[in-house]
Amino acid sequence: MLKKDFTILNKMGLHARPAALFVKKANTFQSEIWVEKDDENVNGKSIMALMMLAAGYNDSITLQVEGADEAKAMEELGAIINAGFNEL
Amino acid sequence: MPPPVKDKQPPPLTVGEFYKRHGEFLQLSLQGRELGFTIPIGEPSINRPGLALAGFLDYFALFRIQVIGNSEHHYLEQLPEPVRLERFRLFCRQRPPCIVVARDRQLPDHLLAVANTEGIPVFTTGMISMKFINAATIRLEWDYAKYVTLHGCMVDILGMGVMLMGPSGIGKSETMLNLLDRGGQFVADDSVVLKCPDGKRLFGTQKPEGRFHMEIRGVGIINVFALFGSRCILAEKQLELIIDLLPPDKLNELDRLGDEILEREVLGVKIPLKQLAVTAGRDTARMVEVAALNQRLRSTGYETAVEFNKTLLEKTRMNDSHNTDYHI
Repeated sequence: MLKKDFTILNKMGLHARPAALFVKKANTFQSEIWVEKDDENVNGKSIMALMMLAAGYNDSITLQVEGADEAKAMEELGAIINAGFNEL
Repeated sequence: MPPPVKDKQPPPLTVGEFYKRHGEFLQLSLQGRELGFTIPIGEPSINRPGLALAGFLDYFALFRIQVIGNSEHHYLEQLPEPVRLERFRLFCRQRPPCIVVARDRQLPDHLLAVANTEGIPVFTTGMISMKFINAATIRLEWDYAKYVTLHGCMVDILGMGVMLMGPSGIGKSETMLNLLDRGGQFVADDSVVLKCPDGKRLFGTQKPEGRFHMEIRGVGIINVFALFGSRCILAEKQLELIIDLLPPDKLNELDRLGDEILEREVLGVKIPLKQLAVTAGRDTARMVEVAALNQRLRSTGYETAVEFNKTLLEKTRMNDSHNTDYHI
């Protein structure tokens, strides 16, 4: 199980397009993926759940992955978040 | 293992929020100045300040809404004016969030002035104190209920609130779509907020941000209300059954008789649980529907598997005088 904190770097935050980008990538992994903000944990493979998290610019989120491909999942999903979901 | 789900407590309601949300139902109108509306109501409860007005201020429930009912009103009236003023001032200096006067009575001007000077808003209600206390307490318990957000969908099937849970991509949303066609009502998709106002029952609802929305892979995000109409929507429903949708390889681990009592505990409440395997060729929505119907039957006291077995035992005459209440 891997856990890591990230900051939302893009101005519009985790809105529809970034959520779709993240979720598409998340679904390619076998591992369970959880995204947490303010004590609320949601399934990282679900676009609705991610959007309802309402994570905005500068918000802090925690990514938790667990499964056979967790290392790869953490690396690739972390990269997407740190690249501001390609919106920087 | 999913991360532990944390119970959350909503922040306390401010006096202004309480007035806005429940003012109409509780027949409240503001008497005097509009102030103190940002003060939080610390406890979801109503207090009758008889003892405090009589001068006993120990253990005063200062975080609660204070109600001036019949006895409080007459007690104050029969006090000599200087004493009345002093007692009321001491009571207000405890800084309760607000005062509600029952039976459409108004606080006399000199007492209203004391309350407002201490920053306490005063309301009147047409209700008698007993009814106001009951109604307001129920509403406050609801607003202050601890809650938790779980991943899954919730649907009302023939009056029973059912939650579908399971791994991503197993088909929870698609199954729900099918159930809507058969008369089910959409409560929530993907994130269900469950709250427990009374320690015994759970009520599910969707987060306001996601209201009416659902994701169907390949189709995208749809608005259930816009597509299917108000007949298919339910804002909130009591949760009575959880169904775990499992992948096909779990088919052989399922309960065959239906008499295993599986439960899942959420916010301290145990909810019956059924497990179904999703496989090609099986109508998942139909199975979910039948599971809900069976649960409804079970709650009337009829246990299908037990009854069936009783009949079987009678037929095979294993049922002699010693075994009349044989259970599986």
